[in-house]
Amino acid sequence: MMPAVTSETEETRYGTFLDAKLMVRFLGYTRPHRKWLAAALLLPPLGALTQFAQPFVIQLAVDRHLVTGDMAGFPLLLAALAGLNIFQLVVGYLQFAVNSLLGQRVVRDLRQDLFAHLMTLDANFFARNPSGTLTNRVANDTEAVSQMVSAGVVNLAGDILLLVAMGCGMVLLSPQLSLLVLALMPLVIWVAFRVTRRMRLIQRQSILLQARMTARITEETEGRDVIRLFHRGRAAMEQFDQLNRPHRENADKSNFLEAFQFSFVESSSTIIVALLFWYGGSLMSQEQLTIGVLAAFIDSVRRLFFPIRDLAGKFTTMQSAMSALERIFHLMDTPSAIVDPVSNLATVKKSLGEIRFCGVEFGYDAQRVITGIDLHIRSGERIAVVGPTGAGKSTLIKLLNRTCDPDKGHVEIDGIPVNRIPLPQLRRMAGVVQQETFLFSGTIAENIGLFDPSISRERIRRAAEETGAMSFIQTLPNGLDSILAERGNNLSVGQRQLLGMTRIFAFDPPILVLDEATSSVDAASERLIQAALERLMADRTSLVIAHRLSTIRHADRIIVMAKGSIVEQGTHQALMEQNGLFATLYALQFQASN
Amino acid sequence: MNPPFFTPLRRRLRYLLPLFRGQGKTLTWGFLLLAATNLTAATIPYGMKLATEALMTPTHDSLILYILALIGLALTNAFFRIHSRMTIFGMGRDVEYALRKQYHAKLLSLDAPFFDREKTGDLASRGAADVSAVRMFVGPGFLQSSNVIMAYTTTLPVMLALDPWLTVFALAPIPLVLGSTRLLTRRMYRLSRIVADHFGQMSGFIQESVAGMAAIRAHARENDWNSRFRQETEALCLASLKHSQLQSLFSPMVLFAGSLGGWLILAYGGYEVAAGRLTMGDFVAFSGYLALLIWPTVGFGWILTVMQRGLAALDRISGVLDVQPFLLPELINAPAKTNRWNGHISIRDLHFAYQPTVPVLRGVSLEIRAGRLTGLAGRIGSGKSALLQVLARLYPTPAGMIFMDQQDLTTIPEAELRRNLTMAPQESFLFSAPLLQNILLDRPDATQETAQKALALAALDEEVKGFPQALETLIGERGITLSGGQRQRAALARALAANPVIVLLDDVFSHVDARTEELILNNIRFLSDSHTVVMVCHRVAALRQADWIYLLEAGQIVADGSHETLLSTSQLYRELHDTMTRTEALEALAQ
Repeated sequence: MMPAVTSETEETRYGTFLDAKLMVRFLGYTRPHRKWLAAALLLPPLGALTQFAQPFVIQLAVDRHLVTGDMAGFPLLLAALAGLNIFQLVVGYLQFAVNSLLGQRVVRDLRQDLFAHLMTLDANFFARNPSGTLTNRVANDTEAVSQMVSAGVVNLAGDILLLVAMGCGMVLLSPQLSLLVLALMPLVIWVAFRVTRRMRLIQRQSILLQARMTARITEETEGRDVIRLFHRGRAAMEQFDQLNRPHRENADKSNFLEAFQFSFVESSSTIIVALLFWYGGSLMSQEQLTIGVLAAFIDSVRRLFFPIRDLAGKFTTMQSAMSALERIFHLMDTPSAIVDPVSNLATVKKSLGEIRFCGVEFGYDAQRVITGIDLHIRSGERIAVVGPTGAGKSTLIKLLNRTCDPDKGHVEIDGIPVNRIPLPQLRRMAGVVQQETFLFSGTIAENIGLFDPSISRERIRRAAEETGAMSFIQTLPNGLDSILAERGNNLSVGQRQLLGMTRIFAFDPPILVLDEATSSVDAASERLIQAALERLMADRTSLVIAHRLSTIRHADRIIVMAKGSIVEQGTHQALMEQNGLFATLYALQFQASN
Repeated sequence: MNPPFFTPLRRRLRYLLPLFRGQGKTLTWGFLLLAATNLTAATIPYGMKLATEALMTPTHDSLILYILALIGLALTNAFFRIHSRMTIFGMGRDVEYALRKQYHAKLLSLDAPFFDREKTGDLASRGAADVSAVRMFVGPGFLQSSNVIMAYTTTLPVMLALDPWLTVFALAPIPLVLGSTRLLTRRMYRLSRIVADHFGQMSGFIQESVAGMAAIRAHARENDWNSRFRQETEALCLASLKHSQLQSLFSPMVLFAGSLGGWLILAYGGYEVAAGRLTMGDFVAFSGYLALLIWPTVGFGWILTVMQRGLAALDRISGVLDVQPFLLPELINAPAKTNRWNGHISIRDLHFAYQPTVPVLRGVSLEIRAGRLTGLAGRIGSGKSALLQVLARLYPTPAGMIFMDQQDLTTIPEAELRRNLTMAPQESFLFSAPLLQNILLDRPDATQETAQKALALAALDEEVKGFPQALETLIGERGITLSGGQRQRAALARALAANPVIVLLDDVFSHVDARTEELILNNIRFLSDSHTVVMVCHRVAALRQADWIYLLEAGQIVADGSHETLLSTSQLYRELHDTMTRTEALEALAQ
């Protein structure tokens, strides 16, 4: 399969032909498939052997039997030739099959490694790299590498060996005729290589132009109102033609090269054969050559041309694979900013859920997001965090479960700094419900248990009943096994958040972290969410970024944040009496929504 | 969109055949060149036969003549082959070019209701992959089918004349070649679709995992995600292997078929030569003829599959070409009747729906006088945007409902309408092109000053100075990313740069901060002396600036008047106003 080129990016550039360091690292991936690699290396010589033997059989047939008329032993030769042909078919098939097997396996392993590495990378990395580029790396770049292997680059040496073997056979048959062929070969090879390379370059250009036309159609479809409103239809047609026309003209070039390549190989083999007649004729008159040898030679020349054309193609495949490998390994070498500590790892048996932020500061580049936070949350305490947009509320959550690490200060759970707790364990301690619950394609049950085999079906069902999500799940055609359309587009915001909360019940962490949805939720979901939240907070420490009055009222303590720090804290009553930022916020936001 | 099996070919080719009009000469020429290619190619083995026979004579009679003839034939053959391919493939490329152009033009002529139905990716792939598949149908399809006919008509008689029995033997593997090629390519095509599906599924999985990384991380699901990905890659690997196993069979099979023919020639012909019934030369020539037939036969088997695919692709393209836009070509092509309008809009009992069963506007009537700043207020879904969209003729409305300067909207030529009316839609779409190009949209009469003035009106001029290449800065994926507010103001500047009489603004301040909005509103206020401005308002400041406000609820106008009047008369208006005030206060707090 050709990797899809969707836009003009670095993906479509050529690399160098061979980068030894990349190649060595890549060859490491063939190690688990050593057996197949051995087969891939062994088969070409076998194929070469048949190619090598065939002319001899033909020479014998002509000289011993056809010319003399003595047919005794001829059937034996026929049988040998049949055997050779069948052998060639089998070896030829195996050669292709083994190569593509090797290619597919290697690319599979490479993809798995790359994906596994991607899984370890931190949030900041994903914020910086568009998902399209990352998908391209794992899907398409690896495909280019697979093509390199499938094209048989692994046995490039084998191909060259084949040519050498055929050359040797020819020399054995007739040194003089060989000299003629070998003298002309370099020219033929040079032309074939040049043309192939040029052809690939032009084809690339065509692919690029086509990708740009596709991008243009996509863009125009998305921006159709603008084109209509500003009456730009005619201009858009002209602009499209500026891509379509070069694409057409480029095609003439590639058509010519393709036709030239095809004709060149055909015609030069005919010309070499004609020259063989001429030279062979003079050798025959001096009785230095038999007609059988000449016939065998003619047969060899025809065979010689195909591997040459092949070889030229392989070299260009290798070039695009090299640049893909470079990008793949670059991604694989990108370290994660958030990693498990190598030493001094803490083991937490049963977490109590006590949280402490000690002098925490954090920022992206020059922008300070958290300017200094000290906060102690007791085990089982219910905390509501409020504040205007951009106060740093969500960052607080991110620091707790190590989505990012603070620049200064540290965060503790049960008195242990979070960067000493193994990451999987830490994240199982603090269950996060995002404002927008991300749903994966799959069933409702899979989205609750998130494919965790340790979470039983029964537990998922109970969790859904616990939050009340079951009430709407039951109305779906297949209940818990209903497949979510396009990432849950058919669910309301409230239902999605309810599913996010159900996840927490299923995972049962000692700490609940919840970012309440700001957008309005239908009345039915609202009631369910409030009841579910009540139950969720019952026996765990909870840290809720609150947008609802009821959440605030039920909190043990309210933390008011502004510009990256805590400006007020206390109970609802106390804060109202203080008549500060909370009182203002309360009047504007919470009172209105109730 | 799959046509019934029995749809006549002529009808399926209805958009393709006209493209061949005027190509008659090229067709004939290509066919002649192809015939010449085949003839010269067929003569080469005969030349070899003569040369071989000359070699067998003690004096090598006229050997040098045959050798020279062979070289000459090889060169002429190359010449003809290159030219025939250039001509025939060139024709395919011409058709591809024209069809793509036609398809693209069609898309530009279609209107919003069509695009609401179709998926963007699907429309784009029809313009790319499907058009290319049609080209394969035309170019290589024509070449290969002509080739196979010619190869057989030129070669077969010669072979038969030489030795009928040997011909039968030599051609014995041909049905095998044709049959297996056809079978292989068909199955390979099917399998390659499966591989493509798996590949798409895997890509989708990667994309989704990257998008949902936060959720995966938050619940420490990385390990299971890895094993799920392993399953995806395993499935893809298996499907690819199935496909490549077949593919691996392909070229050894073809090679084998050739060898088999050669072997049969030797097995039967060998005895004939030994018995003196066949010359050594005929023997050599036969191998050559066989080689001449093998490749066209393989090519033919392959091309049948390609043509099948090409026809299916053509059907998909034809499906789009068949769609008729509501805006008739007469209106699109007609010249403008009046140059500049006064800018009076009147709407009489307007009913409108995107989908027949869900009415959006239910009997709206209003008069908007020239040179007024009119506001539209109402809750989300009350029909404000829909009203602007039908005023801008993005969606069809029946005649007799909307009038611009007493002209029925459905009779106004497109050129006249767009010169006099424009809209800044809710979603500020910008092209990935330089900012200047986005503002002026390559209008030939617009200058850089026009753009500067429009940018100043939209309060974006100062920020643009800070862009890496000012007005020439590239926007979009390959350039800089604008913030939501910047995009909205750029889209507003684009509308203002066109300087129409009527400007429709659909909630263009949602991402602009209050202070900047105030600035722009003042500019628009000033502009409305000479222009008719209709805007959807979601902020208090905008409502205050409007000369007259229409309040919509469930597709009907429930109240109208000035801001002050509505505040005192309409409960709904007061509620809207209060919500806006509170939201704005909260936003101010966040600053």
